Amino acid sequence: MILSMAWRNIWRHKARSLVIMVSIALGLFAGIAVLSLYEGMMISRIRTVIDEETGHIQIHHPKFSDENESKYLIDNIENILKKISGIPEIIEINKRILANGMLSTPNGTAGVQTIGIDTNTEFSFSSLKLKIKDGNGFKPNKKYQAIIGKKLAQKMKLEIGSKFVLMFNDTSNNLVSSSYRVASIYQSTNAPLDERIIYVSNYELSDLLGLKGQVHEIGLKLRNDDDVTATTIKLKQLLPQLKIESWKEISPETEFMAKTVDTYSYIIMIIIMIALAFGILNTMHMAIMDRSREIGMIAALGTNKFKIFLLILLETIFLTMGGVPFGIILGLSTTFYFNKHGLDLSGMGEDLMSNFGFKTVIYPEFPLEKLIPLLSIVIITALLSSLLPAIKAINMKPIDALKN
Amino acid sequence: MNDIVIDTHNISRIYNPYTIPVYAIKNVHLHLRRGEFAALVGPSGSGKTTLLNLIGGLDKPDEGQIMINGTDITSLSPSALINFRLNNIGFVFQSFNLIPVLTARENAEFIMLLQGRNKKEREERITQLFKQIGLADKMNRRPSELSGGEQQRVAVARALASKPQFILADEPTANLDSKSASVLLDIMYKLNKEENITFLFSTHDQRVIDRARRVITLVDGQISSDTNIIDTSLPH
Repeated sequence: MILSMAWRNIWRHKARSLVIMVSIALGLFAGIAVLSLYEGMMISRIRTVIDEETGHIQIHHPKFSDENESKYLIDNIENILKKISGIPEIIEINKRILANGMLSTPNGTAGVQTIGIDTNTEFSFSSLKLKIKDGNGFKPNKKYQAIIGKKLAQKMKLEIGSKFVLMFNDTSNNLVSSSYRVASIYQSTNAPLDERIIYVSNYELSDLLGLKGQVHEIGLKLRNDDDVTATTIKLKQLLPQLKIESWKEISPETEFMAKTVDTYSYIIMIIIMIALAFGILNTMHMAIMDRSREIGMIAALGTNKFKIFLLILLETIFLTMGGVPFGIILGLSTTFYFNKHGLDLSGMGEDLMSNFGFKTVIYPEFPLEKLIPLLSIVIITALLSSLLPAIKAINMKPIDALKN
Repeated sequence: MNDIVIDTHNISRIYNPYTIPVYAIKNVHLHLRRGEFAALVGPSGSGKTTLLNLIGGLDKPDEGQIMINGTDITSLSPSALINFRLNNIGFVFQSFNLIPVLTARENAEFIMLLQGRNKKEREERITQLFKQIGLADKMNRRPSELSGGEQQRVAVARALASKPQFILADEPTANLDSKSASVLLDIMYKLNKEENITFLFSTHDQRVIDRARRVITLVDGQISSDTNIIDTSLPH
């Protein structure tokens, strides 16, 4: 009968009960929205890192990453390629020559990282072709052309056809330089990289640095993201003389972000839940105060404190159960809609998003494995917020409550 | 056989004991035997409700002892007292005080459920009680669908459902019209006679006083008179 009383009690003040249910639904919706948005942003960022920046795995000379000098090269390329081509998980291989140097124009100088690429593989490997906003890659039959970032172009006042000088150390530590013309301008979702990285032909850069078929970096893309760890281990065994790193090691800030995003989203959830808790606490408190005489009466008749406590708790559980389905439906359907159509955050500032390496259109995705923890947080919040009113109810003295 | 149901020994209830003490009840000795139909009368503020609350275990005396059917309720722990009230005392409050979300039947059944009575026992008792109070056809109505008099009759049925040692009624007719009050009194009188249930009322209502077979008058928290009235309806 306590169960039946609790159920009927919540419909005594429909408006008040609906306020709690709507609050719970909105709290849950907000939780799903926050988690989905963060998940979508992180997936987008990770995809950008893998698909447009590093690939899944990179191979370098063991000292290259630490000292970043042109002399630390990967030799015996053909032999290495032969070895790794036997790994079925690998679906794309991209070779790069890297050189840190100085870009000079009559307007000033800028430190840049020059990447020597083979457009046949690079355009697909890093989606460079898609990022080109002005121009059409390298022009055929022309030498010493460069593809530069929009941010760098703006900074150095360069446009298509503009000339600049690139200067860097070759493998023997001699200073070498060459003049280039801007062939295309690209724009990625990572503004700091756009300001730093320029692409040139690997053949010309190889000549300038005095290389003999070696490269600095071999990038690999795998069939599945989940294969990264296993393939990294396999490659380490296969190429023990080289440094094999997954995207998580190359871009630790992304890995860190992916790990901490849960913490951030739960912190935001807790803030939302605190607001929700106060709403429930206030409404349940009002409900108890309104019924103090009735509670006093049932206590006078011989209802023990546990049953009164249970009554209040059951009412909160029913209210929560009333709000939860709406919250889930609202949250998941909104997530589904924006997952399909994208959520355009350019209003927040395109530069702001790209400065942190995020795309402006996010496709929120709700991690279903977080539904149970999220529901638990909402239900626990609702129950905890009803504790205070419930304690107040059980501590009412029947004699005082009956006087009201 | 000792048939004393209520036995108060020199009880006092003092408000503001540390500032300006006010004796709501002072040195009251009262004994009620099984089957009594007693009215507690007196002017407003004389301590009628306070005395009922003390006997009903809703309040504790500052001095003295209250024995209910041989149990000293002043020495019971709060949880034991709740259980004691459930199984020994029936309450009828002035303003009906039914649980609004339950039907008349459920209101009466509620207390039996708290006692852990089985379904068969509950059904038999509730059917019998609602017949006795004349509301067998309105058992499934909510309190809001009943008149004030009918609600108070349901309150009596609820008080009786637990098969208590006695029933305490605090001004049960105060909010009723003459006809409803008369019907309620007839029912309580009948139950008292037929089932030998002890009733103790606090009242201002002359109609109740006229029906009582014992009238205890309180003045300033003390019993000023205690009169047994010969019931001419009893066989000699």
